[in-house]
Amino acid sequence: MTHNEGGPRRDPAAEPGRAAEPPTADLAVLLARVARGDQVAYEEVYDQLAGPVLGMVRRVVRDLAQSEEVMQEVLLELWRTASRFDRDKGSAASWVMTIAHRRAIDRVRSEQKSAERELRAASAQIDYDEVTETVEATLDRERVRRCMGSLTELQRESVTLAYYGSYTYDEVAGLLGVATGTVKTRMRDGLIRLRDCLGVD
Amino acid sequence: MRRGRSELHTLAGPYALDAVSGEDRARFERHLAHCESCGQEIRGLREATARIGVSAAVRPRPELKGQALRAAARTRQLPPVSRDAPAASPGWRGFLAGARGMAGRRAGLWPPRLAAALAAGLLVIAVTMGVLMVGAQHRLDTDQVRGRAIAAVLNASDVTMLTAKVTTGGTATILESRHEHSLVFTAARLRALPAGSSYELWLMGPEGTRSAGMLPASREGMIGPMVVSGLAAGDDVGLTVEPAGGAARPTSAMIMKLGLVP
Repeated sequence: MTHNEGGPRRDPAAEPGRAAEPPTADLAVLLARVARGDQVAYEEVYDQLAGPVLGMVRRVVRDLAQSEEVMQEVLLELWRTASRFDRDKGSAASWVMTIAHRRAIDRVRSEQKSAERELRAASAQIDYDEVTETVEATLDRERVRRCMGSLTELQRESVTLAYYGSYTYDEVAGLLGVATGTVKTRMRDGLIRLRDCLGVD
Repeated sequence: MRRGRSELHTLAGPYALDAVSGEDRARFERHLAHCESCGQEIRGLREATARIGVSAAVRPRPELKGQALRAAARTRQLPPVSRDAPAASPGWRGFLAGARGMAGRRAGLWPPRLAAALAAGLLVIAVTMGVLMVGAQHRLDTDQVRGRAIAAVLNASDVTMLTAKVTTGGTATILESRHEHSLVFTAARLRALPAGSSYELWLMGPEGTRSAGMLPASREGMIGPMVVSGLAAGDDVGLTVEPAGGAARPTSAMIMKLGLVP
């Protein structure tokens, strides 16, 4: 990892004395500043979150133009509602990703009701390699991939179909040909295992 | 444990993945409101799903950033939820109660308008802006947004200039536009603060006391221009000295207070 490229926030572990501080600790402080109308803090929040939000939304929505639209909506929503962020209810990153995921899912589900369904199927063939990934994303993806590997196949399929496929649990049950009760518990067990493996609380 | 409740509880996984119908979501959220351990579990599961999402990060097209910053600059922010929200912890509530007392002691409007000095003020701001723009090309997007916001205030038909002395030394000048819900703040010759302290600007009015941001560093005795948006009817502007990171509520006495044009 190069030190020149990253800037101060990119690699906290490289700075002596700050090794244990995750970048998300920053984010909560920045959000508090954003809530007070601080546009410079908003720019930093944008820098930290636009990539993760777009990457996730794109896997759900598939179409790049629409994904960018959802990402911009989510980040504007963040500006508008920063004062509502409550750190007692979870990390800032988890708050934002939850908002973004719901938006993405809503977009897909509303579209599936409309005639654009065909279009979405056609645009699903995007080559993801065309987009450059960040260093953090590469490390993070490696860790998540390893932890996803510790799930049973049914757990992993249930989680992935729900999260990226935007299917509800009963649709997942239909796709996998198992009982809805089984899918519900597999999703929960899978996430618990993932949570423990990733070391989040 | 009742059967209905444990059946509901298995929805935790699908809920954290947003894999529930609207009806299921509403049902589970009603359950969550009364189940503390469920809230904690959802929190952990959400952290896990967020990590799945973050691991897919890509680099967005750079031009989207300018668009997002401009959109934010013209979008009004929501105030915090009610101070008496049941979710607030006692410590937080006590803290807010103190701040409420402070906002209640709102003094009357004070300094005069100096319309004649408007042209001179505009010139100073234009020059300062030029210096800032030249010196900070790496912040181009931010500066463009700020520059545009400043221009919007300066060109508003109802722009008004106000000045006030800062009790600890120096003067503050504000150009205000009700129409743009914004003001441009500058200050001159403010006393230098010890390390660890900063000046913080406040909006105070019927919508409560909100931070308008930390003052930027002084350059050759001049501070700003700084744009404050989200001006509400009845707001006054105040200045305090706070810890460098800023405070959520004023923690020291106002050293400058300006009554805005109603």
